[in-house]
Amino acid sequence: MNRVLSPQGYVPAVILLVLVVLPHLMPNPFYVHILVMMAIFVVLGQAWNLIGGYGGQLSLGHAAFFGTGAYVSTLLVNAHGISPWLTMWLGGIVALFLSLPVGIICFRLQGPYFAIATIGLAEALRLLVLHFREITNGAQGLTVPFKGNAPWLLQFDSKFPYYYIALVMAVATVLITRRMERSRLGHYLVAIGQNQDAAEALGIDSSRAKAKALALSAFITGVAGVFYAQYTYVIHPDGVFGLGLSVQIALVAIVGGVGTILGPAIGAVIMECFIQSTQIIFAGQYPGLELMVYGGLLVAVILWRPRGVFPWFARLYGWIVDHLPSPGAAQA
Amino acid sequence: MDLTTILQGLLTGILMAGIYALVAIGLTLIFGVVRIVNFAQGEFVMMGMYATYWLWKLWGIDPYLSLLITMPLLFCFGVLIQQFLFRPILHAPDLAQIFMTVGLSVILMNAALFFFTADFRTVKTAYSEWTLRLAGVALPMPRLFAFLGALLLAGLLTLFLSKTDLGKALRAVAQDREVSMLLGINPDRMYLLAVGLGAAVSGAAGGLIVPFFYVFPTVGVIFVLIAFVVVILGTLGSIEGAMLAALIVGVAESLGILFAGADLGLVVVFAILVATLVFKPSGLRGQA
Repeated sequence: MNRVLSPQGYVPAVILLVLVVLPHLMPNPFYVHILVMMAIFVVLGQAWNLIGGYGGQLSLGHAAFFGTGAYVSTLLVNAHGISPWLTMWLGGIVALFLSLPVGIICFRLQGPYFAIATIGLAEALRLLVLHFREITNGAQGLTVPFKGNAPWLLQFDSKFPYYYIALVMAVATVLITRRMERSRLGHYLVAIGQNQDAAEALGIDSSRAKAKALALSAFITGVAGVFYAQYTYVIHPDGVFGLGLSVQIALVAIVGGVGTILGPAIGAVIMECFIQSTQIIFAGQYPGLELMVYGGLLVAVILWRPRGVFPWFARLYGWIVDHLPSPGAAQA
Repeated sequence: MDLTTILQGLLTGILMAGIYALVAIGLTLIFGVVRIVNFAQGEFVMMGMYATYWLWKLWGIDPYLSLLITMPLLFCFGVLIQQFLFRPILHAPDLAQIFMTVGLSVILMNAALFFFTADFRTVKTAYSEWTLRLAGVALPMPRLFAFLGALLLAGLLTLFLSKTDLGKALRAVAQDREVSMLLGINPDRMYLLAVGLGAAVSGAAGGLIVPFFYVFPTVGVIFVLIAFVVVILGTLGSIEGAMLAALIVGVAESLGILFAGADLGLVVVFAILVATLVFKPSGLRGQA
């Protein structure tokens, strides 16, 4: 009881409650859309963080897993009418299997190989999807036919249900990260990150630990890809397999703070606000300017805030918790 | 598929390999000396292409002649990049190094989009259409000139690195930074030189292909991806390795286009990357 009544107990509950009622406070579909995109990027940034932050293996091709989920699901939904609630798992599992050879091949090696191989994977998949246009519809991409309000087909005529599904996914991903950080695998990864040779000397199979983290990361990213395809109804190879998406996923984690449980979540909120405001300011009139600003932001974060904004946030959070009343303690 | 077509594919691949080698040499030189994997290397190629294009468009300067202007310009640009962006992160973790160069790549690519639009541009010269025919195989002169120009520049760079004191100092820093400092070499200056040279040769590769290659903002991505495969296959940091690997990659890409389709050339190149990482991750010139 004391734990629930202390600020450490009730502040997360209050935050979660705010997240639940938030769309009702600003029911404009445009704002709800921003919230959905934030939640999707919380999932993606967090998934990247599992292997990039904790595992220290920097993926520049997470779009490979995202696009694989999106395409596997949309093809199955369109061809066989399978429910996206089912293809969501399938998309994740196919992405997981795709990640296994990458992990096996790259994690034996130390150096920039993983970053380069992941770019190559995403780019090769993009080219293959463009090439086999009889199956994939090539550059035109795939559309999910709109069936109106059909919860079984993961289709809703309001944005609210999408928000709640995305919120559940985001919270689940944060909880998975927390669980992994405290698990044996999490400790292995931290040890490997600090000194791989020392960790190996203690009997940790570093390539196996990294491959596990990558598989989990790929699975989550694939699931997010399925949800994204259902939410936007249309996917293009250049969008879902593009280098731009891969960089954006990594940017969310880096701006927030890699190797932390909540950093990527904060990064997703910051980046989505940033993206939306640059889109409003530049109004799409100056092609390239928005991405120039992102690139500048990335360079600035690396130069001056290499640990992201998480330390600031942690201090602010600590201050709030310290200054809130603790009814549980008063009773005791 | 008849023999002439295959010969044509081989020839196209070999000619393009010269350009890939030059881009990869820029990449591997920077990696060898500064130990930074530069994901923005393709943008040096792109900048070389646009600089050449504008010199031709505005003042009618011949693309080959403009190398004398674009190479020094890109050298200075590389020096500035090293001084202000790479130097602060020389000893930072991989994450900072990789994403610094990724950020730089995003900035440069989109600056080109912003200033020059997404239009595909071409340079038409008197010799753009010159072709020599040998037993049914077409030898386009601009591609031959680009190949010879790339070989010449690669040769000059190798001579510089092996014969001059400055070049030897550069290689000394690449081999062992601490020992080179004991010998009185200032590594910071060698880093500036390496990134400057790396930018200049990759930019020159861009300038050389302008007479037959479209100029557009994201053109660098193709070259950086191929250059990565080339430097890994040829062993990171090795210039001779890069030249040999470029030949393999250029020919494989060209034959891939011939047999699998025009849009799958890069997929064949990535297949080479996978094969390298599986069978000989240290590359052709590697120890193990």
